[in-house]
Amino acid sequence: MGTGAPTSGAPPKPEVKALQCPKCGAAIELRSFGHAVSVVCSGCHSILDAKDPNLQILQEFQRITADVAPLIPLGTRGKIRGTDFEIIGYQRRSTTVEGIDYSWSEYVLFNPYKGFRYLTEYNGHWNDVTVCKEVPILDPRLESTSFSSANYLGEVYKHFQTSGAKTTSVLGEFPWQVRVGEAAVVTDFIHPPRVLSREKSTEEVSWSLGEYMYGRDVWSAFHLPGSPPAAVGVFENQPSPASTDVKKTWAAFAGFVFFLLLLLVAFDLASQKDIALNASYTLKPGEPKGEASFVTDVFELKGRTSDVELTTSTNVNNAWIYLNYALINQDTGEAWDFGREMSYYHGYDGDGSWSEGSANDTVTIPTIPSGHYYLRIEPESESGHPQIVYQVVVKRDVPVLRIYGVGLLALLIPAIIITWRSMGFERARWSESDHPPAPILQREDN
Amino acid sequence: MFQKIYLVYGLLVLGVTGIASYRGWSLDNVDQVKNVPRSIRDNPGSYRAVYSGYHHYTGGK
Repeated sequence: MGTGAPTSGAPPKPEVKALQCPKCGAAIELRSFGHAVSVVCSGCHSILDAKDPNLQILQEFQRITADVAPLIPLGTRGKIRGTDFEIIGYQRRSTTVEGIDYSWSEYVLFNPYKGFRYLTEYNGHWNDVTVCKEVPILDPRLESTSFSSANYLGEVYKHFQTSGAKTTSVLGEFPWQVRVGEAAVVTDFIHPPRVLSREKSTEEVSWSLGEYMYGRDVWSAFHLPGSPPAAVGVFENQPSPASTDVKKTWAAFAGFVFFLLLLLVAFDLASQKDIALNASYTLKPGEPKGEASFVTDVFELKGRTSDVELTTSTNVNNAWIYLNYALINQDTGEAWDFGREMSYYHGYDGDGSWSEGSANDTVTIPTIPSGHYYLRIEPESESGHPQIVYQVVVKRDVPVLRIYGVGLLALLIPAIIITWRSMGFERARWSESDHPPAPILQREDN
Repeated sequence: MFQKIYLVYGLLVLGVTGIASYRGWSLDNVDQVKNVPRSIRDNPGSYRAVYSGYHHYTGGK
């Protein structure tokens, strides 16, 4: 160690002053070029005054608080949002809620031109934290009730939790006079992926803004080996993987429903709905005795390939009729085969009048090309049936409402799933807050 | 992410619904049979209906 005094007329050489811990003598390395206010000896963990040339001891311990193992070692350099930072300090803090201790880590990052920045980690959830540039506007109810919000740079943050935090261990350099045992009341307001934190100690109130970071991004930023610890549970400002905005999903759903209705109206207006066949037939009592099938006159189905709607109207009354239909293309020999049953029963019993079934039926035969067609009809009914009259109407190109029903369902189900997932995520998030969802409160009450 | 997927999916649903309407798709159960002989017009009994012998409802509460 030299005095630095020049011995000749030559300019003085800059000399390094070796810093040593006044308690244990271990070398003290200052990374923040005099910006640090306190520094922790890596040997005995005494907290020293970094502004004092003699490194006055601010706090010392009977036993070494050496059970501190930062996930990212001090001195590690990395790039956060395009700027290089070095990790110069680390502290472990904890809070006690309902008798259970919850601990998290805070890293002090330093860049000689950009100053300080912080990284916090709890159960694999990371936050990139900066000191607020201006004081957020607090909802005036904060002091009177537990529920409130804060407004920062035009964004509203909901109150999440207020708890007492205590520093349990420290390492490296800090831009404030850090102490183990230092206590503060921390109030968190969230607007995922951001969290606004208000720390109130006996001396001051400070505000910081955090933005959620995934462990893999932190590992990538600091070029750390291996993989980060897996995130456990849902963190207060963790962005929902299901959907950041359920309202937008439902707005999209409403838009789709509008276009679906537009499609329905357009196809309804454009469809032919031409009646190609309208004929009535009678199944006399006791029939069929032998071969009952017959064919209709040939009719023409015009236009592009589209559907055919076949409506059967009967006078069945406490009876049934079953019709085997075949729509046959006279030109190509193609046939569309289907059976339809019409049954209508009614009566009275102890519960009053009842009825079931229907005397009428409609079926849609899909994608029928244009051409000349006829129907083969084979009626069946129970023995001893009354006379049954049935009318058969064949219509060309009729909109199928059920297709739109299926479309509506196909749009609705994912929207519900997205909402459900998002609600589940939010429920998990808020269950850890001062404002847990109602059912959880009820369960706790029980 | 999910929202973008939903937007693409919704457009797909609208597209399929439009095609289904245009082509005349149906949800009813209909069997297509090929090469039906022309003689059916003269002898309808020669055709064996797919749904012949269907178990019928006997009715009544």
